[in-house]
Amino acid sequence: MDMNEIKEIFFQECEEQLAELESGLLRLNDGDRDPETVNAVFRAVHSIKGGAGAFGLDDLVSFAHVFETTLDCVRSNKLEPSQDVLKVMLKSADVLADLTNVARDGGSVDQARSAQLIRELEALAKGEAPPAAAPVAAAPKAAPVAAAPAPVVSDDGFVPVAFSFDDFGDDDLSADLPSYDVVFKPKSELYTKGNEATLLLRDLSRLGEMSIHCNMDSLPSLDQMDPEAAYFSWKVSIKTDKGEDAVRSVFEFAEWDCDLEVTALETGDVAEAVADDLPMQPVPFDLSALDDEPDAPLGVVEEEEQIAAVQQAVAAAEAASNVVQMAASASRAVASDKGAAAAAAQNNAQQASAAAPTIRVDLDRVDRLINLVGELVINQAMLSQSVIENDSNGVSSINMGLEELQQLTREIQDSVMAIRAQPVKPVFQRMARTVREIADITGKSVRLVTEGENTEVDKTVIDKLAEPLTHMIRNAVDHGLEMPEKRIAAGKNAEGTVKLTAKHRSGRIVIELSDDGAGINREKVRQKAIDNDLIAADANLSDEEIDNLIFHAGFSTADKVSDLSGRGVGMDVVKRSIQALGGRINISSKPGHGSVFTMSLPLTLAVLDGMVVTVAGQTLVVPLTAIVETLQPDAAAIHSFGATQRLISIRNSFCPLVDVGRILNFRATQANPVEGVALLVESEGGGQRALMVDAIQGQRQVVIKSLEANYTHVPGIAAATILGDGRVALILDVDAVVSASRGQSLHTETSLAAAG
Amino acid sequence: MAAKKAARKSLSLAPVLDLNEANALHGKLMALRGNPLAIDASAVERVGALCVQVLMAGAKSWEEDNQSFTFAKVSDAFTKTTQLIGVNIDHLMAKEI
Repeated sequence: MDMNEIKEIFFQECEEQLAELESGLLRLNDGDRDPETVNAVFRAVHSIKGGAGAFGLDDLVSFAHVFETTLDCVRSNKLEPSQDVLKVMLKSADVLADLTNVARDGGSVDQARSAQLIRELEALAKGEAPPAAAPVAAAPKAAPVAAAPAPVVSDDGFVPVAFSFDDFGDDDLSADLPSYDVVFKPKSELYTKGNEATLLLRDLSRLGEMSIHCNMDSLPSLDQMDPEAAYFSWKVSIKTDKGEDAVRSVFEFAEWDCDLEVTALETGDVAEAVADDLPMQPVPFDLSALDDEPDAPLGVVEEEEQIAAVQQAVAAAEAASNVVQMAASASRAVASDKGAAAAAAQNNAQQASAAAPTIRVDLDRVDRLINLVGELVINQAMLSQSVIENDSNGVSSINMGLEELQQLTREIQDSVMAIRAQPVKPVFQRMARTVREIADITGKSVRLVTEGENTEVDKTVIDKLAEPLTHMIRNAVDHGLEMPEKRIAAGKNAEGTVKLTAKHRSGRIVIELSDDGAGINREKVRQKAIDNDLIAADANLSDEEIDNLIFHAGFSTADKVSDLSGRGVGMDVVKRSIQALGGRINISSKPGHGSVFTMSLPLTLAVLDGMVVTVAGQTLVVPLTAIVETLQPDAAAIHSFGATQRLISIRNSFCPLVDVGRILNFRATQANPVEGVALLVESEGGGQRALMVDAIQGQRQVVIKSLEANYTHVPGIAAATILGDGRVALILDVDAVVSASRGQSLHTETSLAAAG
Repeated sequence: MAAKKAARKSLSLAPVLDLNEANALHGKLMALRGNPLAIDASAVERVGALCVQVLMAGAKSWEEDNQSFTFAKVSDAFTKTTQLIGVNIDHLMAKEI
């Protein structure tokens, strides 16, 4: 495993820690005062800092350090996590996320912003925030740093884990060096995680003059001991000019696996303290023998030494890394094997982010897949056996084998899809940040409620979901919610609520974004649409149709264009990206009570359930999700309308009849509706259309193959697939065909283009 | 005396005494229980706290059994590490004959 891989794991860990951090802070924001929550938040920042230090990411380290110092004040109850404090902390979490991204992908961060936050955090840590002014001085025990005479470094908050403290404390050299008592009691986990007490003590000894006493009292006799448990504990007295932080940072990566007490001694007490502990052995400063180890003739040792060092360095990451590595490498292995469908989808994911994307998968899922592949091999053997023995056994055993094979294939497919499935949580969490930032800019008070974060959906879908969601959240806060004064006047809570929900519904994921704002001002929308020549001034539109106008290109109801939204590129772009994912978006709005946007997306882009139909001798696939019902038209139900249009009456309502063969130019003349089948489909905007096809062949799951990647874009066709007989069948782009039937030409966007 | 000397066992320690070795070392010591023991630590290049724990527990048990437990030869690294972590093995060092 080389350094880059370790780094990659670190960044993955970072993402998790950041998520943890954010959800912890939000819980605190909601009034949760559980010490464990505070600890979790602290741990998250601490781990990021620890890992970052190991990779020399100084920006990240110094910011994390300041953040951590402030969090420590919260942890030790010196700082009350009030709303104001948490606001700063949440912003800091955002900057920390930015810094992490910069460290991974390059680029730059807003220096001014992070500098400003560092100042705010420091101010909080020093107790300058209104609620916590006095306690710092009142708790010298909890803040030994304050009591230490010379090394006030930690109060600056700028001390990274990097071990260069040379700049500090130079002027104190003449005085007696400050002394620290360190009680270090490792837990067994410390060793099992690959840390080594001796190495920690060696690092400690490098800080200065050190005396040590090893407490062996708890060591049992040989036959009662567990060779891998921790029995030794140490009491160390060390004189160093490098400050308590330097002492603590030695144990940085082991902190959670040991009991550690560092006490600063008044210089006068040193002699006394050392005298008290007679059994202490002075440790010679010359540790050359240990340092020389890497030069030992055995190359292996050298390597191991390095590995040990690295292990120690990434102890934070190391804790989980065994399992993670296995899972990650297994998933990678599987990922590379799992065939064209997923590979195509992965191509897509690669477009989304330049770095080769990896996913972390539950070992269970990989195991299930491996198990199924084993079954497949057995089934294949049985099947070929049956074919060989065809004469004696006849066709029935082959058919049985085939049926089993079919079932297996379906299960394997499901398993592979499950591997790509990821919870939507990370995307939702990013939205929390968006809401905060926009609320800040607009001066509104907004609360984001999320539900169903653990709903799983294909990675590709997740990657592409963030952008439209951000747009919509912006709109919801900027346009949807009213200013606090207005809300109070309307008898609502001054704090607006934006709710983001994800759930599974009949094989699709449904994401709902609702706000409790003013709702869509239909009069204004209508007027705007008339002004922009989108509709005729006397057009008679239903409420639903008016609401859907906001999805038109070049439409914005904001009176003035703000930085956030209102450039009129908002909702139509959203709609297009959702459609590109094979999804649909709907809006429902109640004046005075807010709006609800509902997006329904396929769980995966690689496979879809389709209805296989024949049109003018060609085989086409219509996505099943688009089809509402199928019917055999009666001659009596067909009505002509104008020169070329025809309508079909279904249960006393009229619905335009769309001749698919005509629109795709499969034939020059209009088909006779009575000879064909009508597929009632739901098109964009909620309207229904009846697609005319010649015959239905059946219903099948098809693997989506990109036409763009293999051939070129074809208007009205979303993608292609390969049928059982090896022929290529085209997948119909229902929305494109429907809009073409309205007299517009087939436009270029397609609903499955993203499928790869 | 002669008989006692004949029963004396010796144990050579592996060069790297880390987490993985702790169990093995424990097993070896358990097998040698009841005999006077001279440990050869001259090949040791790296030793972790866990193995020191095992060795010290061994010394303790040998003491309880009234058997001798000595380090016949020690490497520099071994001495330095035990010194570093404050474990005194001076009283266990073999006296020059």
